[in-house]
Amino acid sequence: MELFRYATSIYGDSRVVIGASWDLLPWFVAAGAAFIIVHAVVKAIAGRRGHAG
Amino acid sequence: MPVSGSASMSASETRAPVTPIEAAAPAHRVLRHPLVDRVYHWLMAASVLTLMGSAFLPIVGWKFDWVNLHWMTGIVLALLVLIHMVRALIWQDWRAMVLDGADIRNGVRSIRAALGSGGPPPGKPGKYKILQKLYHLAAAILVLSIVASGLLMLLKIDTPLWRRNPYWFDADTWGVIYSVHGFASMALVMLVMIHIYFALRPDEWWLTRSMFRGTISRTEYAEHCDASRWQAEDRA
Repeated sequence: MELFRYATSIYGDSRVVIGASWDLLPWFVAAGAAFIIVHAVVKAIAGRRGHAG
Repeated sequence: MPVSGSASMSASETRAPVTPIEAAAPAHRVLRHPLVDRVYHWLMAASVLTLMGSAFLPIVGWKFDWVNLHWMTGIVLALLVLIHMVRALIWQDWRAMVLDGADIRNGVRSIRAALGSGGPPPGKPGKYKILQKLYHLAAAILVLSIVASGLLMLLKIDTPLWRRNPYWFDADTWGVIYSVHGFASMALVMLVMIHIYFALRPDEWWLTRSMFRGTISRTEYAEHCDASRWQAEDRA
């Protein structure tokens, strides 16, 4: 997996960065989902402890 | 029902005792988001979702003519952000969204309380919690990066208003501009997911409702906010 998208320069001798790699999109979505899941679990556990206390 | 059976009790004696909050409350509700800010919020939401859809749906395989929709909505977003910045700096209390010492102190106390380390309990926030302020800061950085890079990217397309001129920058600089736009856009997807999650959480519904109605109840105000840090305006 690459961080950037590349194209060949107009002279044909090197690669130039043309933007961020779209392969990263699922990773950003996964990071958001992970945050949501962890937060929901922590809040649920804290809520149960609160009720028990 | 714990009511005395005495028939001779007067009306004032049968009334529920007045709490200090009620005694000090001339109105049942307080204003949290004026209409202009709610309209801004929902226009911003519509434009960001449209931009994300027109950017990422073609990438994941849903092909359509997205360029015109994307740049036009991008102009709308840029104007909305500009209006918001002017309004926040001139007419709103922009300090309400800036981290201060009390936020950091309360944040440290919250972490200590969550870890069971003891110490004084965290105080209430003003209008916005520390995490809302941090979220706003992150969203502001990403949106401003997207808007700035997006405006430069307009130089690469023909529109009825201007002709393309891709020679403003060399290839490496265009690579940086496109990369900033791409990374910030993908990170914004993550922030939008988190934003919608918090809006849907039942314990945050009082905030979500206020983005529709504009107000929160006096009880919610007393329960969640420190009146010395946010002097809210009454609404009937």
